[in-house]
Amino acid sequence: MKLHIIRSPADRHDRELLEQNFRLRHRIFVELAGWNSLRRADARDVDDFDNDDATHLLISDSGVVVGGSRLTPLNRPNLLQTVFNGLVQGKLPAHPSLGADWTRFYVHPDRREGRRRAPESAALFCAVMEYALLQGYSFITFVSSISMLEHGTAVGWRITPLGTPAISDGKPIVAAWIEVSEQALQNVRRRTGISRPLAPVHGPPPVVWPDGPQLA
Amino acid sequence: MSTIEDIQHQTTTNAVLNVMLRALESCGFERFIVSGLPDPGMDVRPFVLLSGWDSEWYERYTRQGYVHIDPVARHCYSTTLPFDWSQAPFDRENDGPARRVMDEARDFGMDDGFCVPVHMEGGMQGVVSLVGETQHLDEKQRLELHMLSLYAHGRLRYLTGPAIRPPGRRVITPREAEILKWAAAGKTASEIAEITGLTPRTINQHCENAQKRMGTSNRLHTVVEAIRHKLITL
Repeated sequence: MKLHIIRSPADRHDRELLEQNFRLRHRIFVELAGWNSLRRADARDVDDFDNDDATHLLISDSGVVVGGSRLTPLNRPNLLQTVFNGLVQGKLPAHPSLGADWTRFYVHPDRREGRRRAPESAALFCAVMEYALLQGYSFITFVSSISMLEHGTAVGWRITPLGTPAISDGKPIVAAWIEVSEQALQNVRRRTGISRPLAPVHGPPPVVWPDGPQLA
Repeated sequence: MSTIEDIQHQTTTNAVLNVMLRALESCGFERFIVSGLPDPGMDVRPFVLLSGWDSEWYERYTRQGYVHIDPVARHCYSTTLPFDWSQAPFDRENDGPARRVMDEARDFGMDDGFCVPVHMEGGMQGVVSLVGETQHLDEKQRLELHMLSLYAHGRLRYLTGPAIRPPGRRVITPREAEILKWAAAGKTASEIAEITGLTPRTINQHCENAQKRMGTSNRLHTVVEAIRHKLITL
């Protein structure tokens, strides 16, 4: 399994992976999970936040995308502070330039069988924390079913709700933030048994956002 | 500090037990259990993360395999939402074993309770079951108990997971990593001491320890190797 960190402008190979990602997302979030507002005739899940601000973390196996996630810097337009703003009652733990919003986490449906933690999901958890550290983020926000609070805590992450849960489609969902730290990376690696770094050694250079912290 | 925060800071199962007991007492619950649910026929004991049950009841429940006939445990497989024990469906007329578990629980003073099913990755199933009256709970309190239970289950799963395996390569401690990161940012030992609240002597000791274990020859070399092997991220 291989991690790809993809931002636009992507090269031809990465564009092909992104295309797989959009089709898989449609299958998973629209067709299987029933998020009908995302339904599109071309069977690709692409929304307003799949723009130049987005970073896609994709896991591939023999060239096939088997899991993915999207990260959007919180000082750029993001899902948390627009669509899901009603879930946020508390304050972010730090300046928005120090955080990213984690969305569209998924594992390929064919890879979710058996009573085990899918290695794809384990790899994504590690990849997200590793990427966050590499980018200098100090926190990651997300909105999900409240079972994510259990899953995240079980890999040794500190997670703080940003508001009280709301009921969506009969199930409680919550907005929360995860503390980014070396310890959090060490814990998730230990719990998932993935001890090696996943990010390519010669990854893309860190982004400096116009209104973000300027590094000397 | 909120209970949720408190739970995440505990480092032993016993400490989590105490935090939970304190929090649950204020909602009228006095006993609880946190456990995974085993496949049919399997012993539940290796799956128990934390038992705050009466020991006699625990003995009987686990030894007799009640988990496989208990309507409360069974109902966890058919819902993602918390429920009162009294809502767990079973055929009181014809399901003798289920009736026996429910009746015996009552004899142990466990008339009612609040059950939180936990769905883990890979379809594994867990449960947090709180013993006590539930009628007085409003929706807000139920949600709070749901969240509290998920945090407790997650934290216990983290704490009881397989112990740290000896790493293939000698790695540095989180404290050493923190100090090397400051060194990489150009800070001197006394500056790092000021930032971290440690003494310059301790800072130097940490650097030397990291150096020894990484087999590097000086501080610059240690920092460079730590970055190269991604032991620290800048």
